[in-house]
Amino acid sequence: MSVNPRKRKAVAKEAPPPPESESENELGDGLLEGILSHSDDDSEGSEEEDEEDEEEGDDTDASSIIEGLSDEDEDEDEDEHDEHDIREQMRNLKTSDAPPKRKPGQQTHDMDLDAADSSELDAADDGDDEHLKPNYTVHTDANGNTRYMYQEIDPVYESDDSDAEQTNTIGNIDLKYYDEYPHIGYDINGKKIMRPAKGEALDALLDSIDIPKGWTGLTDPTTGKPLNLTEEELSVLKKVTRNEVIEEGYDPYPDMIAYFSGVDQEIMPLSAAPEPKRRFIPSKHEAKRVMKIVKAIREGRIAPYKPPEDDEEQDQFTFDVWADEKPRDANSMHIAAPKLPPPGYEASYHPPPEYLPDQAEQDAWLEQDEEDREREFLPKNYEALRKVPGYETFVKERFERSLDLYLAPRVRRNRLNIDPESLLPKLPDPEDLKPFPTTCAAIFRGQEGRVRSVSVDPLGIFVASGGDDGYVRIWEILTGRQVWNARLSSEEAVDAVSWRPVKEASILAAAAGEHVYLIIPFALLSPDVEQHSRDILDAGWGYASSKSQTTPAPEDAPKTPPGVWSRPERKLENKGVLIQIEVRSAIKTLSWHRRGDYFTTVSPRGQSSSVAIHTISKHLTQLPFRRLKGIAQTAQFHPSKAIFFVATRNTIRSYDLAKQELVKILQPGAKWISSIDVHPGGDNLLVGTYDKRLLWHDLDLSTKPYKTLRFHSAAIRAVAYHKGGYPLFADASDDGSLQIFHGKVVGDLMENATIVPLKVLRGHKVKQRLGVMGVEWHPREPWCVSAGADGTVRLWN
Amino acid sequence: MAGRSKKKGTSGAAKNYITRTRAVKKLQISLPDFRRLCIFKGIYPREPRNKKKVSKGSTAATTFYYTKDIQYLLHEPLLAKFREHKAVAKKIGRALGRGESGDAARLEKNLMPKVKLDHIIKERYPTFVDALRDLDDALSMLFLFANLPSSEHIPAKTIALCQRLTREFEHYVITSHALRKSFLSIKGIYYQATIQGQDILWLVPYRFVQRTGGDIDFRIMGTFVEFYTTLLGFVNYRLYTSVGLVYPPKFNAKSDEQGGELAAFKLEGKGVNGTEAANGDDEDAEINPEAQAIADRIAAEGDVEEEVADAIVAAAEGDDEEEATEGIDKFEPTAQDGDVLPQPQASRAEAGSLFAPFTFYLSRETPRASLEFILRAFGCKRVGWDSILGDGAFTTDESDPSITHQIIDRPSLANGAAAPVSNDSENGAPKAQWPRSMMPGRTYVQPQWVWDSINQGKLLRPDLYGPGAELPPHLSPWVKPKKGEYDPNLPLAAQQPEGEAEAFEDEADEETFEAKDDDEDMDAIVDRAGSVEVGEGMDVDGDSDDDSDASSDSDAPAANDDDDDDDESDAESDISESEAARLQHQAELEAEATGKTLKKVAPTKKEQNAAIRKKADKARKAEEEERERQKMMLSNKKRKLLKRIEYGANKRDTESEGLRRKRAKLEKAKAAAEAI
Repeated sequence: MSVNPRKRKAVAKEAPPPPESESENELGDGLLEGILSHSDDDSEGSEEEDEEDEEEGDDTDASSIIEGLSDEDEDEDEDEHDEHDIREQMRNLKTSDAPPKRKPGQQTHDMDLDAADSSELDAADDGDDEHLKPNYTVHTDANGNTRYMYQEIDPVYESDDSDAEQTNTIGNIDLKYYDEYPHIGYDINGKKIMRPAKGEALDALLDSIDIPKGWTGLTDPTTGKPLNLTEEELSVLKKVTRNEVIEEGYDPYPDMIAYFSGVDQEIMPLSAAPEPKRRFIPSKHEAKRVMKIVKAIREGRIAPYKPPEDDEEQDQFTFDVWADEKPRDANSMHIAAPKLPPPGYEASYHPPPEYLPDQAEQDAWLEQDEEDREREFLPKNYEALRKVPGYETFVKERFERSLDLYLAPRVRRNRLNIDPESLLPKLPDPEDLKPFPTTCAAIFRGQEGRVRSVSVDPLGIFVASGGDDGYVRIWEILTGRQVWNARLSSEEAVDAVSWRPVKEASILAAAAGEHVYLIIPFALLSPDVEQHSRDILDAGWGYASSKSQTTPAPEDAPKTPPGVWSRPERKLENKGVLIQIEVRSAIKTLSWHRRGDYFTTVSPRGQSSSVAIHTISKHLTQLPFRRLKGIAQTAQFHPSKAIFFVATRNTIRSYDLAKQELVKILQPGAKWISSIDVHPGGDNLLVGTYDKRLLWHDLDLSTKPYKTLRFHSAAIRAVAYHKGGYPLFADASDDGSLQIFHGKVVGDLMENATIVPLKVLRGHKVKQRLGVMGVEWHPREPWCVSAGADGTVRLWN
Repeated sequence: MAGRSKKKGTSGAAKNYITRTRAVKKLQISLPDFRRLCIFKGIYPREPRNKKKVSKGSTAATTFYYTKDIQYLLHEPLLAKFREHKAVAKKIGRALGRGESGDAARLEKNLMPKVKLDHIIKERYPTFVDALRDLDDALSMLFLFANLPSSEHIPAKTIALCQRLTREFEHYVITSHALRKSFLSIKGIYYQATIQGQDILWLVPYRFVQRTGGDIDFRIMGTFVEFYTTLLGFVNYRLYTSVGLVYPPKFNAKSDEQGGELAAFKLEGKGVNGTEAANGDDEDAEINPEAQAIADRIAAEGDVEEEVADAIVAAAEGDDEEEATEGIDKFEPTAQDGDVLPQPQASRAEAGSLFAPFTFYLSRETPRASLEFILRAFGCKRVGWDSILGDGAFTTDESDPSITHQIIDRPSLANGAAAPVSNDSENGAPKAQWPRSMMPGRTYVQPQWVWDSINQGKLLRPDLYGPGAELPPHLSPWVKPKKGEYDPNLPLAAQQPEGEAEAFEDEADEETFEAKDDDEDMDAIVDRAGSVEVGEGMDVDGDSDDDSDASSDSDAPAANDDDDDDDESDAESDISESEAARLQHQAELEAEATGKTLKKVAPTKKEQNAAIRKKADKARKAEEEERERQKMMLSNKKRKLLKRIEYGANKRDTESEGLRRKRAKLEKAKAAAEAI
């Protein structure tokens, strides 16, 4: 039987005191329950109460009817039981009709109904004239005084506070003192709180209502009369609802009766023959067969069945594979698989909070493609181990690892375990390398067009510059004042200027086009220096004339001499331009020998006559090379030996002038050499190239450069060593900057030169992709002078 | 006579390498068989230095193997087995086609060749140490498979084998006390054991159902597992015999069925009689569980196992005896400039005695298998747990008085837990159940305590790991903090470069600045409303606001300028500094002239910060300039090398800087929370 479990529970729960969970302000309930338990004669009533309570609590009015229907107790007998059923049904109907808010502590149902009825009647009776009459009547009391008898105030609906909480105000008094009274206490207004209806009262009420037998409350649709069911019909319905067989007394699980095997059951046995003997003794034949098998087993002819065992696993590891181990030879090609790195802090289940990604990082990670992710998981924090879930991609990661093990090519890579600091060279502190030029001290303006070349005089007082406007200008170095100028040519630019490197005389050589001019700016010189200078220049006149007289070879006559020494026009001569030498093609560079007796010019266009050496004392021009490999770019004398360096486009050749032979060919590896300079010690060579490189050649070391410096973003136009004792060199580039280096050459052969970058001097403007055209050092001070394409000459110190 | 001109592709790289297709053709096996063979033999593809030369000009992506490797595969006995297998498979196929399933079964049973891999083990790992070195992947894979459910790809037999082998290995680690470190990661639990000087690191998943969907090919994994089980079997054999144990250990199927796991194996010393070592609980399991528990305890406490263990340790360290008595001295450097040599630490005996004096009890919410393994590996002999966690506990009674530590992973109950104890007390003995009552004299810790303790090699303060306590962060024991990298163990101030703390502070201020400003504005508005009568107060208020805004505005671009590496800004800052000094001086002079005392304007925190930061920036910039200068002198090759190194270093730097920034923020938030 399916008994409602909820109900059973409620009955069982009746014994213990009311649960604590009910709050204090529901005192009415508590009191009521106490009363109920106190006056508990029959369990049924209270049971019902309980149920009612429960239903009210749950608000399950729909299901309550069905519950009522199926509610049954086995111990009750049938008649009572049915009646009870119907009653309960009715009550359920009622309770479900009643507003769910109603508390059991309130007045009983019938009282409520009465009150409602009376108020309704009143309202109907004196509906309109109610407010006209006074609400009291005047009486005389026993003493004869007037007494106002007020009518009961009729509370209209709005004033009804019956749904307000009714609390018993009797305080901490045992309710048993009220046992004799119909009320159980007083509410806040002093009105009596009536004892709520109990099971007995309800039952009495229900008993008083006469219910016809078999009443269902339904109407028979065929007759229109109320549908009454007989008991049989009811029981059928009941069985139908329980999925039982309707037939009366049907037992679904009868005991099995062995009709044909049991002896007792057969009332009329088929045979009256007594039980044969063979039924009682074991079969001889069977015994024989069994014995046969037993014998066979004993003899081992029949082996008992053994399930086929896979014992190879058990037997598999029964010996030591490495019993006689020999290490593998070291040089095998095998590369062991790299181990997986151990987990870091971020892989912890409870990492330090700084390892947890913030929202942005999390989003970025989620947005990334799975293959691009640097880490295959997002760090997460779990405050306890029990909260850690399984790792989703565990199997996948293992699988990928095994793929790596057999599919990924292995390459042995040298780990870069180098301290980056060890790579960086130890450089001397720039403070220790001072002095070197750092700022622009003076700007010599006045030149029009580009300044092509500058030169500082050996005493360090004047700077000569030559540029596109054809002028040679001389400036005072300290003041920046232009002290002398002369226009050598109107259409050709002055490509090179150079002071003769001897202090006693002051001679400036300048090249413009195919002409070299030797200048003594006598306006600036003291008379004895001027005289000395003039003597030097004039000494050759006689020699030249005599030579031309002595060798007037007829076959040489049509061949023009390599250089024609002559006096320039009057105007120039007055200025101090004393000698003009004409060579075969335009001269680009000019450099002096250390003693000042020779100078060399290079004119890249003239093939065989590109390099010329001029002797001042003899007014003689010689072409040292009959045929030069490559196009000569520039040439320099060795500062102490009779060695001559000629730079072609991509090689530098050094010749011994005394022995007339080639000494060395340097290969800087440059595409186009622009300028060279020889260290005053003579063993090192600086090469600037148009392909942005500055090369330092150590002549003792190799034909390849010792250092290649690439710090310029444009072609290098000029390079220069400091000749006056400071270990400095500078280069000038088309990117408008000069770079100053420290380049110390030690006399010891074992030690290489140290080169330290010091300073980038910026100031010249880049014009038509030309920046600084020339650079020259002051002979004594750590100053340098640069010629810019922007028409300025700058002094840096 | 000129020699015959050489044909292209007949020597050199072209002959050294062979593509996969050609290799498969040469071996005359199918591609899956080739894969199996490669996995077994450990042959992997190679990356030729010049692909074009190898593939005769073609640049298509191909896999290359060494020709020598493939040639060496030609002699492999497994190849014959594969071919046999193929032949039998054909026969079986034919039988099945005819509907003779009995024949097919017989053929499969009798003719199917059994693949044995022991010769390959010997070949691939000529020495035992080689095998140990390659054990990482094997262990991780086998531990994974030991935790997988059986499916059509993974037969139950394989899983049982994996479980057996891994537990045997664990037993070895326990008896030899070889476990060194362990780490709870979100992936699983990492363990590191040192066996014969080799560090072996493996990962064990948490016991959850693994997700096996997606494109996971279990045939490949199965091949690996086949190889790894063979490897681990032989390694186990060698390890067991090396410490004087019988291999395989006795396996108690009944205990295993009841979830005994490690307890299902009984190790036996070679000298010790086997029956003596056996506990005898496998004979009849029908005795009542209490008696069983007592018997278990007695057996566990009995000297038999300890004797075995002692014998093992003695055997293992037999020749180290003298060394052990003398001990290793700690070399302390006396001068700063000497090199620090790595010194051996945490000897086996030390590791084996960490938990020796204690009795542990594991509550039922804790991961029993891992805790049992670790505790026992670190010397604990008595580990008990709730009976639902499986067989083999030292005690299943939580109220056992011998328990010294209880590992719990449940928060303590919120309300006072005293009341319900009286209810239980009617049984006589008070039943101590963790969340409701605590046994006096027992230490209650969370599982992380065990891990952190073994990683640090000492017992940590248990109160930090108490029930419901907020745990300290769990750190990986393998991270060795390098110079300049972030180390969560050190205080933040100790690892921040100069000026960074101030920078962070300023950043945080700037972040909060907006909000603060708004507040001020609100205040100002309120003030204004109140100060209309006063008249002047309003202006002052407004001015101060404007000032603060202006200063913040002017600060921001200044900071930006500083960030740009300009000489001008540097010069500017110098100028401004000198200017400030000049102004200060001027003010002083004026004050002197008027006879007033000059109020020293105390620099605000922000200004101080800015000053420190500026100084640090300047120093950094100078350093950078110097570095640039040095870099100019490098050769091209070296410069590129340096660039690569610096790339990695910079990445690391930014990473650790990010971590430091986060930590600074967190610490600040924490301090603020505490202040409130």
